[in-house]
Amino acid sequence: MTTTTALPAPTSSFTRLRRRHGWLAGVVVLLIVFVVLRATQIPNFGGFELRTILAGSMALAFLAMAQGVVVISGGINIAVGALMVFANCLAARFMLEQDALTATLIAVAVIAVCAIISGIMGLVITISGVPDIIVTLALSFVIGGMALLVLPAPGGGIPLELQPLIVGGFSDPLPAVLWLTIAFVAIWLPFKRSRWGIATYAVGSQRNASYLSGVNVANTRIRAYVLSGVFVGMAGIVTTAFTGGGEPRASIGLAALLSSVAAVVLGGVALTGGSGGLLGPILAALILSLIPAIMLGFGWNPNYAEVARGAILILVVMFGGYIQMRKRTT
Amino acid sequence: MTLPLLTATDVAKSYGPVVALRSANLIVEPGQAHALLGANGAGKSTFVKILTGVIGAGHGAVLMNGEEVRFSSPEQARRGGIASVYQDPALLPDLTLRQNLKLTRTPLDEVEKALEQMGLAGLDLNELVRDVSLPFLRMIDLARALAHRPRLLVLDEITAALPTDLAATVFEVMRRQTDSGGSVLFISHRLEEVVTYCDMCTVFRDGKDVAAFVPREGGENRIVQAMLGDAANLVREGGRRSVQDLTAVAPRLRVEHVAAGRELVDVSFDVRPGEVVGVVALEGQGQDILFEALAGDRRFSSGEVLVDGERLVARHPAAAIDRGMVLVPADRATALLPQRSIEENLALTLYRRGRSWGPIPGRAVRTKVQNAIDRMSIDTRAAAQARRLSGGNQQKLTIGRWLTAGFKTLLLFDPTRGIDIGTKHQIYDLIREEADNGAAVLMYTSELREIALVADRVVVLYRGRIVAELPAAADEEELLSAAHGMVPNPADLEVGR
Repeated sequence: MTTTTALPAPTSSFTRLRRRHGWLAGVVVLLIVFVVLRATQIPNFGGFELRTILAGSMALAFLAMAQGVVVISGGINIAVGALMVFANCLAARFMLEQDALTATLIAVAVIAVCAIISGIMGLVITISGVPDIIVTLALSFVIGGMALLVLPAPGGGIPLELQPLIVGGFSDPLPAVLWLTIAFVAIWLPFKRSRWGIATYAVGSQRNASYLSGVNVANTRIRAYVLSGVFVGMAGIVTTAFTGGGEPRASIGLAALLSSVAAVVLGGVALTGGSGGLLGPILAALILSLIPAIMLGFGWNPNYAEVARGAILILVVMFGGYIQMRKRTT
Repeated sequence: MTLPLLTATDVAKSYGPVVALRSANLIVEPGQAHALLGANGAGKSTFVKILTGVIGAGHGAVLMNGEEVRFSSPEQARRGGIASVYQDPALLPDLTLRQNLKLTRTPLDEVEKALEQMGLAGLDLNELVRDVSLPFLRMIDLARALAHRPRLLVLDEITAALPTDLAATVFEVMRRQTDSGGSVLFISHRLEEVVTYCDMCTVFRDGKDVAAFVPREGGENRIVQAMLGDAANLVREGGRRSVQDLTAVAPRLRVEHVAAGRELVDVSFDVRPGEVVGVVALEGQGQDILFEALAGDRRFSSGEVLVDGERLVARHPAAAIDRGMVLVPADRATALLPQRSIEENLALTLYRRGRSWGPIPGRAVRTKVQNAIDRMSIDTRAAAQARRLSGGNQQKLTIGRWLTAGFKTLLLFDPTRGIDIGTKHQIYDLIREEADNGAAVLMYTSELREIALVADRVVVLYRGRIVAELPAAADEEELLSAAHGMVPNPADLEVGR
């Protein structure tokens, strides 16, 4: 028997790299451009500036990861903002006037509580069959209310010696980098490479085909929510450390939610699910946080920062769509 | 006497009032390549889904080696010894091939061994599924099924998307499977494959098994007879033909050398006013794309469409509708507003143009809507919401809404799918009436008998080409043979290239 249909030539490693990580490379370039831009605005750009950028965007980076996991699994989590506020209030209330060790244990407990709450959301979604957006939206009100019950007014606190360990001291950018790296390398990468991770991408890619392949779709989606909750809890702890207290206002959660979706989209995770990773959203969070500072540096009204964020988001996604279209016609 | 490997007794399945499978019986012996045949909608795919645990059976029993089995997921079925290659690739586009295999806990070395036996050892498993072409995905699907070392290998129309040499590889795999004592359940629309490679066949019709025989002994004719059944004799009742002589009439619709990707290759034909042209094709030969592109829902990559001698480039359905070309799609859900009333559905086509400002002229609209209701004899008892209507009445709405607005060319895509015989005849009468009033009608149908009932002329589409043009009087065997690519004069195929 002779084979006349030629085997497809394997895609060259360069093409493969470009196709799979091209978007990420674009995000990296954009980030470098922004950082350089910021650096030129300041006479002596150094540790202090880096620490401000990193610590200031850390919470959003964790939140982007939390949103990213759920979006990859084919859903969307409207409750990330409210849950972060809840974690912030919980941590600030119970860490007040504790020693560092107890406060650390409390931090771990808060993260666990967030994972459980988020997992329950996933459970409700898979059992009820109600779309993600409805369930998480409804529960975001419940969680927002819980935050106010825990901490009715801004207040609470965190041990002073713990703060620099989480968000870095006056001009020390290292802890922020360290924690983000740990979350990415020690939690996300092993998960992504496991069968659970593959199943998460599979479910987000095509739910029915995953089912036909023997994937437990419900469990996979719940798992994505649990992991999302872990990242939200981290975002809450970081917020507590960065601000030194708790702030129960729902508007903070709302702004954080919108930024998390923006970071996910800018970071190259398709809202249709099944593609992208979490490095993109982390870097996109840095980019989004840099915009107001850069505008301030140019002497522009930083109130236009939101306008700029929106414009950049639309432009970048349009550009991505244009690339997709060209790919399809060739 | 050895026990049969698989015995299905009286298996049935219905979705609400819709019966997908009435009563299916099937016996597969060990070492047998068994073909499962039937027209579209006969229940083959439903049967395969029940067999492989995708859906539960409503009724009946499946025995393997004499023991009853009831799989509740494809994974269970695989462990029970049934591995399947489904009609649509079950590989996830955003993952690499290797990740896909990991997902199903498929032993990698077994897959590689299977690929090697198929002469495809060079396939790179780190490739993303979306970057691999469909024929090779089918082969990977097959290798994955084989890696589970099934006792029964189920192949649901695997050869439909394959070039001949890869199809030959599939038959080689089937032979090895049966030689080693395993069995194959093979589903295909290509009858010559069944006759050549299968030891036994079971034919389904209307959700029931109607015949089981050795395909080599009966040949393709007997298979076609069994697939069509008595219907072959019933359809001789009166055809509705054009009484005018149309030979001198200029065509309303002229399609010249249109193509669309790989699905449609150089298609040309015309339709004259007063004429009903039937399109005959098996599932997935490019007919859906032809109709969508004519209606302006997608674009041809090359070629020309002329309406009344003038070029039509329809970027949107609205552009085609402006030139009087309207589509009745197969899926009623894409045509109707299910939550709105019959009247609103019928009047929708009238609101298209912003020709007149101000309030909708209620009386004029009502008159037109009432006309359509009368002509289609739509049952208006459940008038408040279109979704509450029966399938037949919904179908009347999808046609009727064009009657209110008026049209010159009517594109009908399987207009009688899933509706009862009485309504069907009403629709046939209507189609002929419209044609006699000067409309040009192009109708795809999955039911061959409809050709004799309404069409004046038939074009046959096979793998994106028109392989034959036949008079409506052509008998069904002739049509079916052509639809399977068995063209009386092979030179016709060459012309298309």
